[in-house]
Amino acid sequence: MPNKLTRLTLGLMLAALAGIGLGACKILPTPSAQGGDSANNSAFNPDGKVEEIWASKVIPYLQQKAGPFAEVHAQAKADQAAAGAKYGNPKKQANSPWTFAVRVEGKIVAANTQSRAGTIDVDVDGDGTADARVQIGPAMRGTALRDSLDFVQFNDFTNQIDFAQFGKAFNAYADKTVLSKLPREALEGRTAKVLGAYTIESGQDLPLVTPAEAEIGPKP
Amino acid sequence: MKFTRRMTLAAFAGVLALGTAMPAYAADLIAIITPSHDNPFFKAEAVGAEAKAKELGYDTLVLVHDDDANKQSELIDTAIGRGAKAIILDNAGADATVAAVQKAKDAGVPSFLIDREINATGVAVAQIVSNNYQGAQLGAQEFVKLMGEKGNYVELVGKESDTNAGIRSKGYHDVIDDYPDLKKVAQQSANWSQTEAYSKMESILQANPDIKGVISGNDTMAMGAYAALAAAGRKDVIVVGFDGSNDVRDSIKSGGIKATVLQPAYAQAQMAVEQASDYIKNKKSPEKEKQLMDCVLVNGDNAPKLETFALTN
Repeated sequence: MPNKLTRLTLGLMLAALAGIGLGACKILPTPSAQGGDSANNSAFNPDGKVEEIWASKVIPYLQQKAGPFAEVHAQAKADQAAAGAKYGNPKKQANSPWTFAVRVEGKIVAANTQSRAGTIDVDVDGDGTADARVQIGPAMRGTALRDSLDFVQFNDFTNQIDFAQFGKAFNAYADKTVLSKLPREALEGRTAKVLGAYTIESGQDLPLVTPAEAEIGPKP
Repeated sequence: MKFTRRMTLAAFAGVLALGTAMPAYAADLIAIITPSHDNPFFKAEAVGAEAKAKELGYDTLVLVHDDDANKQSELIDTAIGRGAKAIILDNAGADATVAAVQKAKDAGVPSFLIDREINATGVAVAQIVSNNYQGAQLGAQEFVKLMGEKGNYVELVGKESDTNAGIRSKGYHDVIDDYPDLKKVAQQSANWSQTEAYSKMESILQANPDIKGVISGNDTMAMGAYAALAAAGRKDVIVVGFDGSNDVRDSIKSGGIKATVLQPAYAQAQMAVEQASDYIKNKKSPEKEKQLMDCVLVNGDNAPKLETFALTN
């Protein structure tokens, strides 16, 4: 008898629980779905994060850190660690190459707007040959902007995917707000003024600068 | 009957006690746990870690979990039971591994992760991983160049439980999707497997004879895909892999696969052992738990310099 009673109570409790569960489902399907969405929204939002820090942190950091391209690159070729201490991100991953903040000012001597990964080659010392290649989008390579910032650390991200998306978001933001507004025609001979970053690489190609700010002068 | 069993148990316990007591007189033990050595990448990791551990005066216990999280959990128990002082681990799943590494930590055994991350920090002492995203971008940029920025292509993806499968795919697409004339006609997982990639490629090719390129999440799948393409008389299809294996190096040298991305597997495993040794001897943790190592593009230009997941100068 007590056994039966217990079973009955249990049964009633289960029924009550099921009732509550069902009731909640029936009454609150939309709010619970929205709850799920807002949980996703609180997850990492790389584009929003970049937009949030761009004007307040990224641009001031680069402005304060950047050196003239010729000077930075000469020092980087002579002594990477010394150049890194001055123009680089000292908190970079030990095994990663240095990324330097630079200003590139000079004359455009060549342009590639055929490729989606558009670039301009800039002569900064007036000798008529290109010294740096500046990305003008819309497709952009690398994560130089992210990697130049000493306040962005891989350790602070859940995994490489979040870290990677953050890197991509910097390029996308620069393309959207700066590069997409640049002229695309008859670029050779015009002046260019760029604030950005580049990662030192061992290949023979020109150093590839990713801009955070860029201006192209009028046709000569 | 009961008595016998108790006797057996006691004897067994005695043997166990002896077993654990004995290493106290021998060198400290480092356990090295990776996926199956069938994939030369994981073998290079295990060989690199073992060589460094021996060089530093440790005994080693080399085990494989075959990408099975349950088996990995058992192997971690084994390492703990054998009194390992540290575990070098290429893990069997970003989520499933967290508990296993926590278990080792609770038992006082520090873990040093290589190659793959887990979705938690503060559980392992170190997570030394290749910068798979940076590497994937290198591979994708080469792929885009080889394709002339246009044409139909196929993507072979790795094992879903492995963060690296997702990150490489993401890295590929972050580059390739900027080129609207490159059209992905198929995307399938071949689970890092050469044989699976072969059969998947065969059927993809039948449905899409007009493909121009295949980008693969690793080298073993690239080898499988290329073999299927060659068997169908389609050696013209551009194949790009990821890892930097000797097999793909040889294929590149003979004009088969066009490019791969080298992960410094051997150096990475050695670095993990060095950090483990520093932890065992000096109680010193690495400055950062999460450490990234950059990858290098391998194509016809530098393929001859590649040997066992390292480039010579």
